[in-house]
Amino acid sequence: MSKYLARRLGQSLLTVFLTISTVFVLVRLAPGDPASAYAGPTATSDDLARIREQFGLDKPLISQYGIFLRDLLTGDLGTSYSFHSSALDVVLDRMPYTITLSVAAIAVTVAVAVPLGVWMARRADTSRELGANVLTIAGQSMPDFWTGVMLLTVFAVLLPVLPASGFTSWSGLILPTVTIAVLQLALISRLVRREMTTALASPYITVARSRGVSERALTWRYALANSAVPLVTAVGTRFAALLNGVVVVEVVFGWPGVGSLVVRALETRDYPLIQATVLVTATLAILVQLLVDLAYPLLDPRVRLGKAA
Amino acid sequence: MTRTPPSETLSRRTLLRVGAAGGAGLALSPLAACAGPTGAPGPGTLTLGLNRSLVSLDNKLNQFDAAVTVQRAVRQALTAIGPGMKPTLVLADRFEMTAPTTWSVRLREGIRYSDGRPVTVEDVTTAVRMYGEVAGSFILGLFPELPRVEATGGRTFLLHTREPVPVLDRLMANILITPAKDNRPEELRSGVGTGPYRVVSANSGAGEYTLARVPDYWGRRPPVERVRVRFVPEESSRVVALRSGELDVIDTITPDSAEQLTGLPGVHLEKTSGVRLCQLFYNFRKPKTHPLSDPRVRQALTYAIDGESLVRDVLTDSAEQAQGVVPLSLQGAERTGRFVHDPARARQLLKSLGADGLRIRIMWESGEFAADTSVMEAVAEMLKDVGVRASLLQFEPGGDILKWRQGKGGDWDVIGNGFPGPTGQAVTMLQAMYAGTAEDERTGDAFMGYVNPAIARQISDAATEADPAARDRKLAAAQHAVWDTWPCMWAFVPKTLLARRTRVEGIGLLPVNSYDLTAVRLEG
Repeated sequence: MSKYLARRLGQSLLTVFLTISTVFVLVRLAPGDPASAYAGPTATSDDLARIREQFGLDKPLISQYGIFLRDLLTGDLGTSYSFHSSALDVVLDRMPYTITLSVAAIAVTVAVAVPLGVWMARRADTSRELGANVLTIAGQSMPDFWTGVMLLTVFAVLLPVLPASGFTSWSGLILPTVTIAVLQLALISRLVRREMTTALASPYITVARSRGVSERALTWRYALANSAVPLVTAVGTRFAALLNGVVVVEVVFGWPGVGSLVVRALETRDYPLIQATVLVTATLAILVQLLVDLAYPLLDPRVRLGKAA
Repeated sequence: MTRTPPSETLSRRTLLRVGAAGGAGLALSPLAACAGPTGAPGPGTLTLGLNRSLVSLDNKLNQFDAAVTVQRAVRQALTAIGPGMKPTLVLADRFEMTAPTTWSVRLREGIRYSDGRPVTVEDVTTAVRMYGEVAGSFILGLFPELPRVEATGGRTFLLHTREPVPVLDRLMANILITPAKDNRPEELRSGVGTGPYRVVSANSGAGEYTLARVPDYWGRRPPVERVRVRFVPEESSRVVALRSGELDVIDTITPDSAEQLTGLPGVHLEKTSGVRLCQLFYNFRKPKTHPLSDPRVRQALTYAIDGESLVRDVLTDSAEQAQGVVPLSLQGAERTGRFVHDPARARQLLKSLGADGLRIRIMWESGEFAADTSVMEAVAEMLKDVGVRASLLQFEPGGDILKWRQGKGGDWDVIGNGFPGPTGQAVTMLQAMYAGTAEDERTGDAFMGYVNPAIARQISDAATEADPAARDRKLAAAQHAVWDTWPCMWAFVPKTLLARRTRVEGIGLLPVNSYDLTAVRLEG
């Protein structure tokens, strides 16, 4: 187990390193100049040269990369051009908002999609299941900005019961959470439905049923437990994706998370901020995936970490 | 009977139970919040929704329209730009030019920072020095030179410049005063000011601040007890938040949003002439033989543009056609002429000048002004009507357009460009746009390659003229001379638009898109 963990941590570090290195090169290859974005329309060539020198952008790419790696080892990801403070601090200031929204969205998704998927599996191929299918797919088909704007119009303007933007109170979490959850519902509920349908048709369920195990226990304790691995994998993947920032939803709801931050960083070519955002979100996403992998043996005793199936 | 010892490892069932319980808790927490507030501000709190993140309440590196309103509520300068773009005294009670290069200033008596410390001449000296030392300062670009401070008494000092800077009293409105001990050549993240409000909470990363009234403020006590500043980047979200009453004021709104908000109960629009000039500016780096190097061709093309219809139909009356080479709301601006739509005359002139069948490339950056793409497409159609084929090249924000503007990216003919006028002075804009020299142009720094030594001399002469009447005369002459060179195909001045809840009163919106928070009050 510890050998497996060490190997996975090593892999994770390498993944983060390669990701951040790729981003370092790609942002510099993209068109645009941070100095001119920073200096504004009245900047002269002298101003631009001074700013490039200040940001270290006048050095060759390889030197910039060397300095970046050296600073990275000391936890210094540079100073954000637009926030004039530590890029890492700016990202870490925003991260709690993104984590809160992601956790809430994934919790609501699981709380609704799992019972819904089970319900659909129990009523597989009936007209009621078809109705539920149509509803969830309709939710998934709606673009998130449209869902968000509709929810805003109804709950913040027509029935002003919820805040329209920001995170000034806990109620501000509801609309963005629901907007994201609507998109995830179809994916998770259909996955649960498929896994549960297969599990409920398995011989061990037939045997258990013949021994008088109740339908409730069969469904929730036997079949759902055996569907846990793919479910946790899917939920973990979706959660990791949400941690990277839900750009559109954050922008529509004025949510101060990393998604809206990275949009601004890209517009202003704020290289340190882009790199810090990628580093933090990539680390979190990889950590979530690692936790998901570590959870497998707990969910399914047949799984042995570090051994081929 | 034997008892099974409790397992020390986490069982599968326990994991599932804990996971389910945790998930349910998390899922219910937002639902529990349904009983909470809707985000609407309280009766004594004014909530402002800004379109850009207010990174700090210092302006050394970060000054945009609405930021000025908030920054000046906490930190103040010796002067401020008031109604009519005229300077008003703030921390100074005397600010007089005593010689062409010398100004005599006296600090108001008894002025203190919010922590009780008095304002000293040393604070002013340090502030000027810090603004000079900070790298990449936008403010510094507004000053032909920073003044040297010479203390002459406990509250009095002289400001010296090498060359006359007749608008120094206006320019000093940008230097915010902070205790010398706390000032640094960087954007200050904390600290106190002399303004009517102090910061009680700040999250600069999220652009959110809460300001509270300073109990013993030296000036008139502001009617609003608390001000909350929020960063809401998406315009549609700001509009919804204003409609729902969650925000009290949103600024810098587009014509589309203004149209949506017009006539809505509980919402009022404030509108005033702006100080930003948007132009379809010609490329002055064309070879001498190119048709666009001939001012008569440039003039002929202006007749192709139906400015009235662009303002009415595309910009939905949110702008005015320019009637000069700078916005008329700037102090010292001169009405020099009007754009006339006469396509027949355009065709005839172009033909007589051998420029019929001209092909031009128009470029601009997305978001340079409201409805930019629609304006450019309409212009291309209008040019087509007079036999000119226009191709459009649009850049994304943060792209390489600056290289093109400096003549280092490639060839182009017309650029859609917006130019700000934050000082409220015509002379500042004229210097930046039309006073370029051959030396500037060697590095591509003359504005779009515009180099006209005679006009540059006129502007420079006006800029250093100490006598206000003579300065205005010289500036007016320079503006007429610029107009006669037909530097742009068309120009317009967007109006400054702000929307507020009707409970908010007393916003005296200035053309520079800011207002004095001490005058704002809440009704009901």
